Amino acid sequence: MSARKLSTAEIMVALSLVLWGYVVQPLVATFQRSLEGKGLLAEYAPFFDFHSVQNEAMRGSLWISFLSVICAGVVGTLLAVLLNRWDFRFRRIYQALVLLPIALPPLMGVKAFYLLYGKAGTFPQLLGGIFHGNPSDFAITGIAGVLLVHTLTMYPYFYLSVAASLAQSDDSLEEAAYSLGASRIQTWIRVLLPMLTPPIVAGALLTFMSSMASYTAPLLFEVNNVMTVQIANNAATQASLASAVAVVLAIISVIFLIVIRGYEARRVYRTQSKGGARRRQRVSGAWANVMLFISALLSTLVLILPIAMIFLLAFSKNYSWRTAPLPSEYTMENWIRLFSLSDAWAPIRNSVEMSAIAVAGAVLLGVTCAYVIARTKSRGNAVIDIAMMLPWALPGTVVAFNLIVAFARPSVFSFGQVLIGTYWIVPLAYFIRFSPLIFRSTSSSLAQLDPALEEAARSLGASWWTSFWRVVLPLVRGGIAGGVLLAFVAGVGEFVATIMLFPKLKYRPLSIAINDELNVGRWGTAACLGAIQVLLVLAVVILMRRVEDRSTIAHNT
Amino acid sequence: MTVLTLEALSKFFQRAGLVVDAVNLRIEDGEFFTLLGPSGCGKSTILRMIAGLEEPTSGRILFGDRDVTFAPPNQRGIGLVFQNYALFPHLTVARNVAFGLEVRKLSSDEITKRVTAALAQVQLEKLGQARVDQLSGGQQQRVALARALVIRPQFLLLDEPLSNLDAMLRGETRTMLRAVHNESEVTTIYVTHDQEEALGMSDRIAVLSGGRIHQVADPKDIYERPATRFVASFIGRNNAIEATVIRLQNDMVTIQFANRSELTVNTKQRAPGVELAAGAKVVACIRAESLCLSANGQIDGTLSDIEYSGSGFACIVKSNLGNLKIEVPMSVQLPSRGETVHLSMSAAAVHLVQP
Repeated sequence: MSARKLSTAEIMVALSLVLWGYVVQPLVATFQRSLEGKGLLAEYAPFFDFHSVQNEAMRGSLWISFLSVICAGVVGTLLAVLLNRWDFRFRRIYQALVLLPIALPPLMGVKAFYLLYGKAGTFPQLLGGIFHGNPSDFAITGIAGVLLVHTLTMYPYFYLSVAASLAQSDDSLEEAAYSLGASRIQTWIRVLLPMLTPPIVAGALLTFMSSMASYTAPLLFEVNNVMTVQIANNAATQASLASAVAVVLAIISVIFLIVIRGYEARRVYRTQSKGGARRRQRVSGAWANVMLFISALLSTLVLILPIAMIFLLAFSKNYSWRTAPLPSEYTMENWIRLFSLSDAWAPIRNSVEMSAIAVAGAVLLGVTCAYVIARTKSRGNAVIDIAMMLPWALPGTVVAFNLIVAFARPSVFSFGQVLIGTYWIVPLAYFIRFSPLIFRSTSSSLAQLDPALEEAARSLGASWWTSFWRVVLPLVRGGIAGGVLLAFVAGVGEFVATIMLFPKLKYRPLSIAINDELNVGRWGTAACLGAIQVLLVLAVVILMRRVEDRSTIAHNT
Repeated sequence: MTVLTLEALSKFFQRAGLVVDAVNLRIEDGEFFTLLGPSGCGKSTILRMIAGLEEPTSGRILFGDRDVTFAPPNQRGIGLVFQNYALFPHLTVARNVAFGLEVRKLSSDEITKRVTAALAQVQLEKLGQARVDQLSGGQQQRVALARALVIRPQFLLLDEPLSNLDAMLRGETRTMLRAVHNESEVTTIYVTHDQEEALGMSDRIAVLSGGRIHQVADPKDIYERPATRFVASFIGRNNAIEATVIRLQNDMVTIQFANRSELTVNTKQRAPGVELAAGAKVVACIRAESLCLSANGQIDGTLSDIEYSGSGFACIVKSNLGNLKIEVPMSVQLPSRGETVHLSMSAAAVHLVQP
């Protein structure tokens, strides 16, 4: 009827086209590719055959994910309760340190774990020396190694959701339970734990999905019978097998995406009363204090070690680490080389550049999508929402594989070009993977924005565009910035999809350079690049804090 | 100057159904006009359609001769005050007020001048540089009003502007709104569910229920001559008693209640459309304050509930005509709860409506 309705419809069509072209259609292409070999039945039946490699990989992935949920769940929940319900010395410092794993770059981080606990690692060597045994008897290898990495990198999913729930929880509920005659233990079992169920389930779903998608940890700890490794190993040689595995993994991920969405919609426990911050119990008694102190110290030490290892290695001489617990010679050479040779600097420039291109596109898509969904009541919204979040749920390996299949030949969506082997395939993959991050953070900002503000601006004479530019954007700036920085962090560290896609040496980004250096044994050079990733992430986190501080002036309507 | 006309305006929502049902209204220039009704009666939807925030399903909206039915809100020249004020949290008080002038691209001298004047009008001249979240609810309300008035709108639309204020502030703000209206002479359309606000402030009131207009009249007529049973029950403490017409002589009509008592009233004391042939069913409306305790009253009952109201007592009497609300002034000796009482009604206070 009016001009504005027409343009909303046009935007919807444009969004659908983009999502179809770069998200859904590549997935469909992978499915078609899987049928080009032996056909539907022959390709998918083995998943149900206990003795097939496909079934073994699927069981492997599910089993590791299940164990990861348990381990990360126990660690994350305990840490959250410990640091948020009790007060003790240096609690605030631990609270900051406990989120360190988020800053761990994917590839170099896992390598650091490997160098600390794996074959011929620091700890096995130390223990071997102390007990006069063979170091490899003390090494953590195989599935145990993968689990260690998963636990220590994924427990923040539990920690963050449980801590947020504890911070919101209402003292009066606990007091009510006591006043009704419940003992301390009864209160925990019947009141506090049920309230923690939603955040724990949310953490479990995220951990399970991330474990299914995990590629680097199984790769380094040489666990080959998981689905991600199977896809990567067979991508070139047995494309129809790899395609089928990718499709099955995608289906599992989509199921999880739908479960998570449904669960989030159903989460009901909210605080009813206002009031000040929660009171924390101050721990009294020397013993309890010492115990808490030691456990907090130990757990944070474990968390700091991988990052400490990266920085230590960055100052070590290449090939200087043979059979000692730690490298034996140290030098500034890695850093000097980095800042003096343009070749050495190129990966950093590539990573930043590719991430920046991807983020620019992702902002356009993510913000438009978030705004359209928040402000229209169209039936297509749910479909667009799911398509938008799909790449977030898909493992990086699957996203990369889909792109390989879809853009190995000219397509409308690549303007008639073959994208595989060109510079643009990597930013495209980043764009697809990171749009959901910006979409989500913008959506949650928009959800807090009172629609009456826009109506007020319009009634005061502002055109739609003026009101968007001068009222909506300034108020959701924090949300957009949060998403941008998250996406940027992920882009600088990206390894899983990049390793399958990157075109040539000239265009290799950070993670690939690190991988290459590790493969030829130049651990010092690799760690130096890894340290740069950590520093970039930290810089971005600090920046994010500042933006958030400035944008919290806003909402109190 | 401008007259606002609504012609057969309707709005249909997928979920809620027909919220506004063929509403016709003519709001005169300079009027303080109130849309009054319970929540869900469609009054806010009408306001939002006038503002251009909703599109009507059918019907027309005219500002003077100009058809604005589908004009975007920014081309209507209206000032809108929201229930929750909708102040821009990222702008200072002065920048909030300046917003409408800035988008009109006025010179900065002119903007400064008009913003200062607008803030003075609502007694906030000192808070121009304050952040919006530093203000109290009452102050935010006044900023919202200044922001709407500063653009010199053709119509000032207020959507339940007092509902988030406490009782004392509400009184003060009412006085201020009247003063602002008198001074600026801007046609004001006020939406509320509070009959006291409506009666106290308006030049005319439209009472709505279920998307339809039940009555448009000045406050005195609304109170004393309700057009329908709904209006009678929505405004004030009112009793609706069913009765049957037994005699019509000249301009006097005699009705009989369920307890066989009879009452003769003037035929003028009825809403339009009430049929007065013998045997016709009518509803007699009588305000709580017009029912008196009297030893020889024709209505018998027992006093079942007493509430002290400051100026007197608000009571409920269980009578042979159903539960009746009465008001007893302090000067009258009040029987205690459970005692038998007799009530009389003065014929002049009765108003007949359709059942």
